[in-house]
Amino acid sequence: MMEKKGSEKWAKAVPGLFALSFLGLLLVAGREARAVDNLDNFDHQGKKLYMAGEATPEIYLSADAGDRNLASFYELRQYPGSPPRIPHPVDQAFSGKETDCLSCHAKGGYSPEFGKFAPVTPHPENSLCYQCHVPLKEEKPFVASDWQSIDPPRLGLSFLSSSPPTIPHSLQLRENCIACHTGPGAVAEIRVAHASRGNCRQCHVPVVQTDELREFQRN
Amino acid sequence: MTIKGGKEVTITIDRRRFIQSAAAGSAIAAAGAIFPGISFAAWPKVVGNTGVVSWQKTPCRFCGTGCGLLVGVADGRAVAVKGDPNCSVNKGLCCMKGYHSVQALYGTDRITTAKIRKNGEMVEVPIKEALDLVAAKLTETRDKHGKDSVAIYGSGQWTIPDGYVASKLFKGCLSTNNVEANARLCMASAVTGFMTTFGIDEPMGCYEDIDHANVFITWGNNMAEMHPVLFSRMLANRKRRTNVKIIDFATRLTRTSQAADTSLLFRPQTDLAVANAICHEIIANDWVNWNFVNEHVSFHKGKTNIGYGTEDHFAFTDQDEAINFEEYKKFLADYTPERVEKISGVPAKDIKYLAALYGDPSLKVTSFWCMGMNQHTRGTWINNLVYNIHLLVGKISTPGNSPFSLTGQPSACGTVREVGTLTHGLPHGVVMNEHDRQMAAEIWEVPVENIDPKPTYHTVEMFRALDRGDIKFIWIQVTNPMVTMPNLKRYREGALKEDRFIVVSDVYPTPTTDVADVILPSAFWIEKEGMFGNSERRTQHFAEIVKPPGEAMSDTWQIIEVARRLGFEKQFPWSQDNYIEKIWEEYRRFHAGPKHEMAPYQVLRARAGVQWPFVNGRETRWRFNPEYDPACTNGKSFDFYGKKDNRAWIWARPYEPAAESPDGEYPFWLNTGRVIEHWHTGSLTRRIPVLNNAVPSGYVEMHPEDAAELGVVNGEKVKIISRRGEIVIPVQINGRGVPPRHMVFVAFFDESYLINEVTLDAFCPISKQPDYKKCAVRLEKA
Repeated sequence: MMEKKGSEKWAKAVPGLFALSFLGLLLVAGREARAVDNLDNFDHQGKKLYMAGEATPEIYLSADAGDRNLASFYELRQYPGSPPRIPHPVDQAFSGKETDCLSCHAKGGYSPEFGKFAPVTPHPENSLCYQCHVPLKEEKPFVASDWQSIDPPRLGLSFLSSSPPTIPHSLQLRENCIACHTGPGAVAEIRVAHASRGNCRQCHVPVVQTDELREFQRN
Repeated sequence: MTIKGGKEVTITIDRRRFIQSAAAGSAIAAAGAIFPGISFAAWPKVVGNTGVVSWQKTPCRFCGTGCGLLVGVADGRAVAVKGDPNCSVNKGLCCMKGYHSVQALYGTDRITTAKIRKNGEMVEVPIKEALDLVAAKLTETRDKHGKDSVAIYGSGQWTIPDGYVASKLFKGCLSTNNVEANARLCMASAVTGFMTTFGIDEPMGCYEDIDHANVFITWGNNMAEMHPVLFSRMLANRKRRTNVKIIDFATRLTRTSQAADTSLLFRPQTDLAVANAICHEIIANDWVNWNFVNEHVSFHKGKTNIGYGTEDHFAFTDQDEAINFEEYKKFLADYTPERVEKISGVPAKDIKYLAALYGDPSLKVTSFWCMGMNQHTRGTWINNLVYNIHLLVGKISTPGNSPFSLTGQPSACGTVREVGTLTHGLPHGVVMNEHDRQMAAEIWEVPVENIDPKPTYHTVEMFRALDRGDIKFIWIQVTNPMVTMPNLKRYREGALKEDRFIVVSDVYPTPTTDVADVILPSAFWIEKEGMFGNSERRTQHFAEIVKPPGEAMSDTWQIIEVARRLGFEKQFPWSQDNYIEKIWEEYRRFHAGPKHEMAPYQVLRARAGVQWPFVNGRETRWRFNPEYDPACTNGKSFDFYGKKDNRAWIWARPYEPAAESPDGEYPFWLNTGRVIEHWHTGSLTRRIPVLNNAVPSGYVEMHPEDAAELGVVNGEKVKIISRRGEIVIPVQINGRGVPPRHMVFVAFFDESYLINEVTLDAFCPISKQPDYKKCAVRLEKA
């Protein structure tokens, strides 16, 4: 019974499976080996993962931050790499108990309030979130600005036709690749298909295009 | 609101609903169209740029923390920021102001040409013409009204060369001590605190103390908002180790209170009594570190009932008298925790708890403070009293044991304190000292008689003199006194009087440029070369990274241009190619020697910052400790070489009430300060779209019960009335800060709510720093 119920649920929740691709792999393997007949046959954390999947309500599995794409990602920034502003309402007090932000953004997960998955911070060790991230109260500028920035880094910059793409951005405060590149909260275009391979920099090398350091010279 | 295909949006909804629906999903893609100018997608991009930037180092332009930034430059424009991982101050992390700081270069109302007042109208003129007029008017005023009728008023945002040439011109060449800086309003009490206790200015510790301490006590200091990078370093320390506590000791609840382990509220001004009660407890429990006290401490008392300086020509000179420990102990007898509980509202058990933290020999304790203790009519005293605590238990000048006075401006230490751009100061020492005058005259190549041995006006008195007409010409650079002076109305009316001539150098229009007769366009921050000096004795160099717009010129060069027009080519001989280097090497001569040696120019250029004393290629992290400080020579475990007796001084300083306290007629305390998004008067941060849009306007924080009694709800307006003036401002209840009952708090960044028309120009008689944290007001529903 358990297996049947489980299968139906997974079938309905195909988009959500991305989030649980690791679990998904286990399940595929499980069908052949029928490990689910005896959950103890699972390797390592398999049973725990399976049970967690079972305990997850369906809506959580089918929800997806599908509207988080690169365009909306950059909407919140002033230049590529700037701390994004906070796109949702925050309490007026916003008084920085670290659990306020990190309860959702440390590990991600489904937020019933917003009906989607929360993006995960790549630097949970910094818990004074409002130090860098500001909410939006009004859109009217004090005076107009002549600010210009640069185009964000291009995607898919591989050196050979089939080689793994390079990392086009600085890793400062963004050393934890999987925070942004995996899971249902991730931006669609930069989500990886092989999240289970944790050692990202085994294949992907940072190639940040940076000009040489030079100081302004008077003509 | 209708959304068609996620693109077309008609806004007929209120803000809150919009944000909610945007957050809920489909409207996000269209957000760029609704928020023109604040979303990245809506900004134009540097044309033809391939994403390639060059990264160049600079200290941040804002507070006194001195974070190292790397500014990304593409095609001659600053386009991005990241924290400099090589800078030990912030190790690659900034705050929202640092990350968005470069946007402050690009407000569309930048002042790019000079303007002079002709028939009441400001008209654009070539900058040469404006500088001619400044020089002519300065000479004319001086000839007609005497050498002390002209003045320069600068800033802790002056670069070190800015302040240096200002002092050289006015003190060395024009023979007037009418040189002041807005740092008088922000850290004069810190200076007099250091001078009276240690005989030498600036903290003995450094930010590394944060990594070593077990207990942090913030004295009236909302660090979470005002020094966020240091505060998050504290939080990281607490997370990493098991035995770290943060105690917030404050007059209102803030974000710092929220993050602290314990928050203790005291009544305004009673920090004096609590500090004495802590010392009382330390002695009563015999937690005194006698080895330290016997070797390194002497006891003193000064005058009492010292006044508040609210009247013109107020003068005060303290007189110290040596006392012994028994006399000091007797003085403290009035300050039992139980008695102080009645004055301060802090429960006796909490005072004992604080004393136990300071007294426990196994705990390393760092105290932090900034404006709460400095903007205080007994600012010098409260600085002394916190040093007393650390000295009694010997917790000083060792890693993690640190009484730490923070600064609020990027170069309050570097320019104002080290260059001495205050009426009594010189780059080394004070004008009253003959040896110091001789040194200055020799380096400046001016006759020693040029340097007047008598100080003239401190900042408040300088603006009073302008109002009275004793000063007729004032040149204001890099600061906005027509927002920041307490009792503002008097000083604005004074500046507007008929025969006053006001020159203002700035980058944006402000209420101060509104009163100007000449506006000089200044190069901003990284549009020129310079140095700042941060709170931990660190000097930080930045190169000219982008070109200044229009005719904008560095403040240093403006002064040099005027000096040359006045005939001082000999003193100001430098070429525009390398004047900063030449000025630095000249200035360095003042600080030669192990107590204050500054790093050579080339070293500053190469590094993200260098701490002085910089001796034999080594920075000094902890002063007075021979393990780290090469100036220690007495062979003991500490050498407090600032004082002639080689000791740090414990001062018996009593509790005295504030200049103005709430009464039946004016029943509320008014407290003023900042918010994290905005810096000082907001003339820069309000031009940073993302910061302005987070906190777009000023407000008054009220306790919810006070608001209920007055019958106002969030967003409704109240009138704040004092004996000096009144403003009408919206209320915020249960926001990020919550004052106790019968106190209101207003941030001063918004020039449309000039709270300083309400504040009182009372100051500490020793430091002459005004108290912006305490005056009495009443409220009306507006």
